[in-house]
Amino acid sequence: MENYISKYCIIKPNEVFVDGNLEFSNQEQDGFGAFMKSIYKHKEIKYPKYFKMDNLCKVAFIASEIILKGNEHIKELNPTKVGVILQNSHSSIDTDTKYNETIKDKSNYFPSPAVFVYTLPNVMIGEICIRNKFQGENTCFIAKEFNPEFISDYVNDLLDSGKLDACITGWSDYVDGEYNAMLFLVEKSKENKKDNISFKPEFINQLIK
Amino acid sequence: MTNIYTIADNIITSLGFTSKENFDALKQGKSGIKQTTDPKITQVPMCASIVDSERLVTEFSAIGNPEKYTRLEKMMILSITESLKQTNIDPTNEDTLFVFSSVKGNIDLIENENHPFEQDRINLWAISDQVCEFFNSSVKPIFISNACISGVSAIITAAQFLKNQKYKNAIVCGGDVISEFTPSGFQSFKAVSEEPCKPYDANRTGITLGEGVGSIILTTNEELVKEDRPVIFRGGSNSNDANHISGPSRTGDGLYYAINNTLKEANKTNTEIDYISGHGTATPYNDEMESKAITWAKLEHVPVNSLKSYWGHTLGAAGIIECVAGIHSIKENCLIKSLGYSEHGVSEPINVIKDFKETEVRNFLKTASGFGGSNVAAYFSELNSD
Repeated sequence: MENYISKYCIIKPNEVFVDGNLEFSNQEQDGFGAFMKSIYKHKEIKYPKYFKMDNLCKVAFIASEIILKGNEHIKELNPTKVGVILQNSHSSIDTDTKYNETIKDKSNYFPSPAVFVYTLPNVMIGEICIRNKFQGENTCFIAKEFNPEFISDYVNDLLDSGKLDACITGWSDYVDGEYNAMLFLVEKSKENKKDNISFKPEFINQLIK
Repeated sequence: MTNIYTIADNIITSLGFTSKENFDALKQGKSGIKQTTDPKITQVPMCASIVDSERLVTEFSAIGNPEKYTRLEKMMILSITESLKQTNIDPTNEDTLFVFSSVKGNIDLIENENHPFEQDRINLWAISDQVCEFFNSSVKPIFISNACISGVSAIITAAQFLKNQKYKNAIVCGGDVISEFTPSGFQSFKAVSEEPCKPYDANRTGITLGEGVGSIILTTNEELVKEDRPVIFRGGSNSNDANHISGPSRTGDGLYYAINNTLKEANKTNTEIDYISGHGTATPYNDEMESKAITWAKLEHVPVNSLKSYWGHTLGAAGIIECVAGIHSIKENCLIKSLGYSEHGVSEPINVIKDFKETEVRNFLKTASGFGGSNVAAYFSELNSD
């Protein structure tokens, strides 16, 4: 059985690609926070919790919102059969470093639970699950580089075994102002769909080139 | 159907450097948790379970240069070495996959700017690179960082790759070390107990942190199985509460789904479970949520314990060392008492193990839950036990 990519989104510094087309770019070049906020506005996302998220969660969240737009049927599936499986390189090191600043100086010691909770890379998955009430398989893998072969093996297995009906998967990384997200919405194949892109490494590699 | 056999394991915690040392301590009801005032760990007196650093360096020196590796890497390499001694599998073979789990990895490096390692050693994948290089592995490793469910997630992921016959053997290793980072964070949540933690007890006041590493070797190759009645991995599943990033679901629905899917995969019903190795962090919310999920799954009659009162919450190691302890409960036919439990402190009537008991144990269910809303369950049983 084949599983196909119903929508994908790539966020690079100052550019957003959706299904291969440049959908949005930032002429201002004014940094991550402003760029993300402009996509948030452009896409008419309304979710106040977004503003509490750390940068890793923000980039993953925005990409997930983009691929779910126009795919409202995903939210009607059994929530325990919709998974979120992501991979990244720098874990939560960006927020780890910020949190460490709050405990470094003993005369200025102010560890904050609101920052500490973001010192876990899988929280970006939790944020996407909370937003959409997805309750299926959720795992955060760490690798130096995005590994389409591994991710497609793992995710296709979850879909083929019946554990999942749909999965939001891919890569989301943020460290020190550098960021990159590549998110795919993967569903079980349906015969009436024409331009299906199979969720296989050779196709994934073409899409992210 | 392909069986996934557990053929070797190791635990390194404050209770010892082998599975036997650790399990013997559990049988005796002996905890490794002690009070610490080490300024490198905490600003206020705190209880913790700490691995003996001197012994770590001494034992590691017999197999490698301790200065080349971080504290966590040393523990992982030592643990895998001990596990490998129990089998004939070849870690360099392309049939052998390494799967790692850790929540914070080499976090102690972020606090110490003068550490002697390369800057990129702070990355989790750098740890698996180091360990795999030590064992001359030829396969790209898998690394999981799924908060407190990481260890069980790693075992399930490894089993999935064995089941689909991508690999024949998997070496699963997980761990975390205690530095100032994690204690200060949990303290900021007011989630740390002043005394050793008391899972499921009415007077529980929060978690006790611990450090350690566990490793377990899985195989589908029957020829490598030495025991008459080996313990096999039957199924596992994870789920998300989709409720809150730092608080568990009030109803236990996420954990219930994970348990339910696991039993479905293992083809088991609620009357076929001898023992539940719970998560039992001893925070008010976690233990309460677990009691609801266990009862929802109609498993409230099944003996349950939490081992956190022996070696603390060891984060990335927890799922692995608690599964290893479950496997030894089957092998030695005994149930470990849930240390620290005296007065029932959760709303549902779950069957918390009050006293050590020698009894037939043929199988167990392991559960865990964590930040990010994640929940997991896995089921192990003796071959031909049903």
